[in-house]
Amino acid sequence: MAQERSDFVVFLFPSVSHALTAEKLLKAAGITHKLIPVPRHISSDCGVCLRITEEQRPTVAELLRGRVTWEGEAPLEVQV
Amino acid sequence: MDEEKRQEVESGKTTTVDARGRACPQPVIMAKQALEENERIKVLVDNAPAVENIRRLAVKTACGFAVEEKEGGFWEIVLTRTGPIEARSGDSASAGPGNELLSCAADGDQRNVALVVALSDDHMGRGDDTLGNILIRSFVHTLLELKPRPATVICYNAGVKLALKDSPALDDLQALEKSGTEILVCGTCANYFGVTDQVAVGHISNMYDIVETLAGAGRVVRP
Repeated sequence: MAQERSDFVVFLFPSVSHALTAEKLLKAAGITHKLIPVPRHISSDCGVCLRITEEQRPTVAELLRGRVTWEGEAPLEVQV
Repeated sequence: MDEEKRQEVESGKTTTVDARGRACPQPVIMAKQALEENERIKVLVDNAPAVENIRRLAVKTACGFAVEEKEGGFWEIVLTRTGPIEARSGDSASAGPGNELLSCAADGDQRNVALVVALSDDHMGRGDDTLGNILIRSFVHTLLELKPRPATVICYNAGVKLALKDSPALDDLQALEKSGTEILVCGTCANYFGVTDQVAVGHISNMYDIVETLAGAGRVVRP
């Protein structure tokens, strides 16, 4: 699944476990995502984050709300 | 270099090794050979890594070291030893001409030093497999940021699982391949796991290729 050039956002979590829980939810919901290291320019205690496309942002937020806490969302510039 | 030494050098008592134009690790090997036969040598080199490597040779063999940058883009190094060089290098565990002295790759000049990444598992590190799987995925993703990119990535044993069509690391491996990295997938391993038809990146390879690639690598990284 080669990613087309598009706008991505990352969801940041307070811990690796939170990120994993969120990933399971996305997987179960069939939402394309990628677990990646937190980009250098963003600081987070947890070293991994979930990357999704900008369009999926509301869907993902809706899915995660009440099920797993996240610390923030940040746009991600893609270097292709 | 003080005046007295300079006079000795210029009076011809010193053997001169001209290692200009020689690629690492030649200068340090030449210097070491000359040092075994002479108590004082002068080495001419034309790159900074060679100076550093010879400085390390001097420290390890307890030789006197003096360097001077010359007009025309080269350095003149004078090495002087007081005792036999064999006694000192012989009591270390090193085999060959002082392998630990050489850092051809680490001194900023990384061209032509093939980096091979060996993915031997679908986890990174030992302790917890869930965590290990997150780590290996992050590792493969971050390989894309390396410059230069690895020459080859080899997937073997459970590492082949990273190259399957449902692997979360597949798109990263495909991106690496697209950017010129060769991806080798161990055929025996894919067969053993019964996933040969699911390999979605690189090419199925055999032990001959794997051995040759590892043996010919400048550096091997195994996460």
